[in-house]
Amino acid sequence: MKEFFKKPIFPIITASVSLVLAIGIMVAAGVSFVKCWDVPMPIEGPNVTEVKMLSEWYDGLKDSPGDTPVYVLKGEGDGGAMLILGGTHGNEPSGYMSAVTFIETAIIENGTVYVIPYTNISSMTHNDPGEGNLQYFTLQTKSGERIFRFGSRATNPIHQWPDPDVYTHHPSGQQLSGSETRNINRAYPGREDGTLTEQIAFGIAELIRTEDVGITFDLHEASPEYPVINATVAHQDAMTIASEGCINLLLSGIDMALEQSPTNFHGLTHRELGDYTDTMAILMETANASQGRLRGGTSEEQVLGGVDDYYLYSESIGMLFVPWDENHHPIEERCGRHLQGIYEYTMAYNNAYPDKIVTYSGVPSYQELFLDADKEDLGGTQLGKFLR
Amino acid sequence: MVLTIIYRLIVALVIALVGWNLFTEKKFTAQLTAAMVLIPLVLRALMIK
Repeated sequence: MKEFFKKPIFPIITASVSLVLAIGIMVAAGVSFVKCWDVPMPIEGPNVTEVKMLSEWYDGLKDSPGDTPVYVLKGEGDGGAMLILGGTHGNEPSGYMSAVTFIETAIIENGTVYVIPYTNISSMTHNDPGEGNLQYFTLQTKSGERIFRFGSRATNPIHQWPDPDVYTHHPSGQQLSGSETRNINRAYPGREDGTLTEQIAFGIAELIRTEDVGITFDLHEASPEYPVINATVAHQDAMTIASEGCINLLLSGIDMALEQSPTNFHGLTHRELGDYTDTMAILMETANASQGRLRGGTSEEQVLGGVDDYYLYSESIGMLFVPWDENHHPIEERCGRHLQGIYEYTMAYNNAYPDKIVTYSGVPSYQELFLDADKEDLGGTQLGKFLR
Repeated sequence: MVLTIIYRLIVALVIALVGWNLFTEKKFTAQLTAAMVLIPLVLRALMIK
């Protein structure tokens, strides 16, 4: 037997076995990664009049991995235009799930609403290495079980490569970490001949300019240890509207902080869309347990239920910027905050610009999504009841 | 675009060298290590991850 192992053929057999094993892992991993490229889309709701692509506003995006669907919801009555940006960051699910909920439920009475569920659709096609994030989560909806992607903060590096050591923002010249070159919320107002991320940002700014969009919402989440959370950030031109809307949110029991967009922090929607277009730019943040640095292991319960006992402990030692108790922060609370915020800020916009009103109904309120829900339905079941 | 092509050619060259190492190495654990190194390299060369 010993003689057999000394023969020169034996290392070739073990090398071949190793190679076959590696090929097996390559195929399994490759299939799993390629499946992530197929991003599940919203089901068209009762008032979706058209589904366009962003390349209709900037044709440089045509056939590129940054070209993303734009759902157009046109009301019967005259009015202004509104834009909702979900999925700026693919690892912030309440942002894109609020946009999906709006598309699937809204009935527009006056004006036109443009909804982009996955603003940086490339960021939805991969996960951040080393984060242990989910690839998917599921919700029970009216049509049965539906799968949604959990993505990354930044553009997929197979679509935009390489990252520079230092990212220089156009046109301000602001310098940031090189990885921020793939963060679309550091790329506005974008440029035609820039990176893929800058081109998507340019396409969105073009949509706003072409369609005369009066008010724009950018929906985000933040880690519980980040200071700007359960908050609205508004461009200075939008502060009057944001203040009125914020008061109404507070009166309806939603604790919402309001900050004016810093003038020296560039590339963000609430700064650049306000500066380079005529829109009222408003950004909202909710508390996402699956995004933080102090979190425990990631799971669907954490993504949808917001459940994380490490954050309960972090709260007890004063490490968090958002209240945390045993109710945690379920997706219904987070989407409810975004959807109620959109409603209140839009009402304030209508008061300020009665010739450009946008009115709608059918979208679940904070009360319907969160406050009226049975406790056992929080964490995805209650949200699923409103989805098609 | 040109940079990406050069990058993929470099990755392909490294894959060839690691593959050569896999079949010339006598020690099984070293062969297994070489096979593991091939996994991310091939996924990168194919621009899957």
